[in-house]
Amino acid sequence: MKFNFLFLLGYAHPLLAGLALTVKLTIASSVAGVVLGFIASLLRTYGRTAVRALAGAYVEVFRGTPLLVQLFWFFFCLPLLLHVDISVEVASFVALSLYMGAITCETFRGSLSLIGREEMDACVALGLGRMTRIFYIVLPLTFVRAMPPLLSNVVSLFKESALVSALGMADLMFVGQNIANTSARPVEVLTSTALIYFVVAFPLTRCVGGIERRVLRRF
Amino acid sequence: MAYSFDFSSISSGFDTLWQGLAITFLIALCANVIGVIAGFVIGLLSQARSRLVRAPVSAFVEFFRCTPALVQVVWFFYCVPIIFNVFLTPVTMGVLVISLNLSAFNAEAYRAGIQSVPREQYDAGIALGLSPLQRAIYIVLPHAFRSAYPVLVTNGISALQQTSLLSVVAIQDLMYRGKELASDTYRPLEVFTTVGLLYLAVSLAVAQILRGVERRRALHYSV
Repeated sequence: MKFNFLFLLGYAHPLLAGLALTVKLTIASSVAGVVLGFIASLLRTYGRTAVRALAGAYVEVFRGTPLLVQLFWFFFCLPLLLHVDISVEVASFVALSLYMGAITCETFRGSLSLIGREEMDACVALGLGRMTRIFYIVLPLTFVRAMPPLLSNVVSLFKESALVSALGMADLMFVGQNIANTSARPVEVLTSTALIYFVVAFPLTRCVGGIERRVLRRF
Repeated sequence: MAYSFDFSSISSGFDTLWQGLAITFLIALCANVIGVIAGFVIGLLSQARSRLVRAPVSAFVEFFRCTPALVQVVWFFYCVPIIFNVFLTPVTMGVLVISLNLSAFNAEAYRAGIQSVPREQYDAGIALGLSPLQRAIYIVLPHAFRSAYPVLVTNGISALQQTSLLSVVAIQDLMYRGKELASDTYRPLEVFTTVGLLYLAVSLAVAQILRGVERRRALHYSV
């Protein structure tokens, strides 16, 4: 069997468009997911018992079920419940964000537990309100410490986002599979698709190590 | 108008879902047995002194950690038969992909444990005349396994969830049976909710059991 990778150059444009969609979706859901995860971690750590249980249930459900099931659920089931049409973009974005929220909640919880008793006591002594405390003390401290694991969460979301192809979103995976089917050259196309994902994800994982060392040195 | 639930479609299709769950569980179990063992071997090799050993091993680990699991699944099912001219049964191939993916992640989990083995214990092993293999099994493995255990559990459970990707290549696991049942009965809401709950129940139960083992083991070893 002879392999010819050159014919793929003709498909560079659709592959790049697919990659662009994947990246856009990853960034949008990461931002929404991080905000959601931070709020969920605050509720899970400092909330009343009922609130804590609720936040815990949210995290367990989204971490305990496959993302593929979640995507299917939001695309096929939620419209039936709400009686509205949900486009595949919205369903993917919502499912990925909620999934990311559950994952980052655990990351934030880890770094929340590192905030010292003294820092909280200092806030009380200064008479800071709850919101001031959250925005000026808790948020910066946890965010800096959670930076490296958050970045790895983003990298795994980037990889997991390939699942939206199962709903028919024209992301990198979907485009790759389509080209593989129409050109009948799965080896070249799928290998290249994998390499494109790798080329984006690998440098990011290296960054995680770099940021980790910096953060560790400063804090 | 509120949606009227009809779970009778589930009760009639329960047998199919049950068969799917059995396949899911079987694949996850095999992948975990392979992944825990192969992960340790790969973890050891990634610490090898020779660059010739280290380079391909880290390429393997990085490849599996930096590409989507879905791409790996599709790649193995379409490309391996073409390139290597081997034809495995779908379930065997499924176990292979999931366990390779899991091994790469487990190797990372073992790494810290392997590095934390004190220098003196290696020296003691050499002084006692243990062969390198014996040193790996009796000195490094217990250390590495104990410190990697929580991460191995987390990885194992995510491998269980990743088996759902195999439905894309028509392995008849829980997810596949769910999709089939949903389109047969026109009841996606009930079916996918049930499928989700089944995954959740299995994941939570397995997590509980394995964490229980951890606590007991911790008691057992704390002398």
